[in-house]
Amino acid sequence: MKTLKEMLAEARQVVPEAGPAELAERLAAGEKLAVIDVRDPDEFRDGHLEVATNISRGFLEFRVGTAVTDPSTPIVLYCQTGLRSMLAAKALKDLGYGTVINLQGGYQKWVQSGLPTVKEVPLTTDQIQRYSRHFLLPQVGDKGQRKLLRSKVLLIGAGGLGSPTALYLAAAGVGTLGLMDGDTVDITNLQRQILHTTADIGKPKVESGTRTLKALNPDVNVIPLPTRITVDNVMDTIKGYDLVVDGSDNFETRYLVNDACYLAGKTNVHGSIFQFEGMATVFAPGQGPCYRCLYPTPPPPGLVPS
Amino acid sequence: MQATETVKLLLGIGEPLIGRLLTYDALGMRFREVRLRRDPKCPLCGSAPSIKDLTIHRNGAVGTCETSPDGHGEGVAAGVAPNAGG
Repeated sequence: MKTLKEMLAEARQVVPEAGPAELAERLAAGEKLAVIDVRDPDEFRDGHLEVATNISRGFLEFRVGTAVTDPSTPIVLYCQTGLRSMLAAKALKDLGYGTVINLQGGYQKWVQSGLPTVKEVPLTTDQIQRYSRHFLLPQVGDKGQRKLLRSKVLLIGAGGLGSPTALYLAAAGVGTLGLMDGDTVDITNLQRQILHTTADIGKPKVESGTRTLKALNPDVNVIPLPTRITVDNVMDTIKGYDLVVDGSDNFETRYLVNDACYLAGKTNVHGSIFQFEGMATVFAPGQGPCYRCLYPTPPPPGLVPS
Repeated sequence: MQATETVKLLLGIGEPLIGRLLTYDALGMRFREVRLRRDPKCPLCGSAPSIKDLTIHRNGAVGTCETSPDGHGEGVAAGVAPNAGG
């Protein structure tokens, strides 16, 4: 009969280990890794790596196929201290999975290294019903919905572009929406800026916008920012958000948002509309071009109406 | 469109519009995709950037210089190449 020590030694021969820092680095670099937390569901709920899927050790061989659809994707397993997952990793190797890595020191060491974790907040009955159609989408699911609820998006402009975007994001359950606009609602806005109603004429757009979004989905924390974005407030404003949506209506703001997002490393979801033509793109620092690559110089004032 | 892109980026799913410009012509009801390249000479994200903070926005000048009236169009031509599949 083998001792536990022998079994672990045997597993270590075929299962490479990666420390928390190395794993964090590889994940940050965008490497495609399937991270599986093999602990029991109650341990998982108390705190886990954000990217992890929970499959308890006892179910691993039965369910790994649904979590890892492409067997060539490297799999990272972890448990509390790195022992259970080492044996579990050996079992996956025996099943024929090519690359199975064990998180050295497990969740405990990850936490001790000061790396981020998330706690599973139970969804309410209302939320389970509200997002039930998201749960049916394999790319979203329960895990994706929780991620959306934890996400923070800043919308610059609550006008023609910001209105539909804000409504869809609120409906989808993006947890925090910063709504920034210094304007008040004018009757000429109402034919397209669907966050606002006739009764809102004269009110700040962020006020009517907040009310509409809260009415649509009370889960969403809407932060009204009743001011125009400027060189003095832009860096402080964007820093607390995961992503910025530029729905502004002038070149000055677009360049400002572009530059600030690039310098702060924030992804900028850009859109613009002129009459019957619209365009959209995403500026992701380090991954693609920015607005200045597209438009190196702003058009002379007066040439292009906003 | 911006909302869908945002959700995809937040969830890390699908192919976001990074490096692609999607244009929409409502009258013709046509979508077109243009591939965008990073400009190595970009004053912000190029290899030798001249914009390292937001000082440029302090005096009201947002660009590097005022060029010909079609500077706007030139920029597009220099920065993009039509996607083969258009």
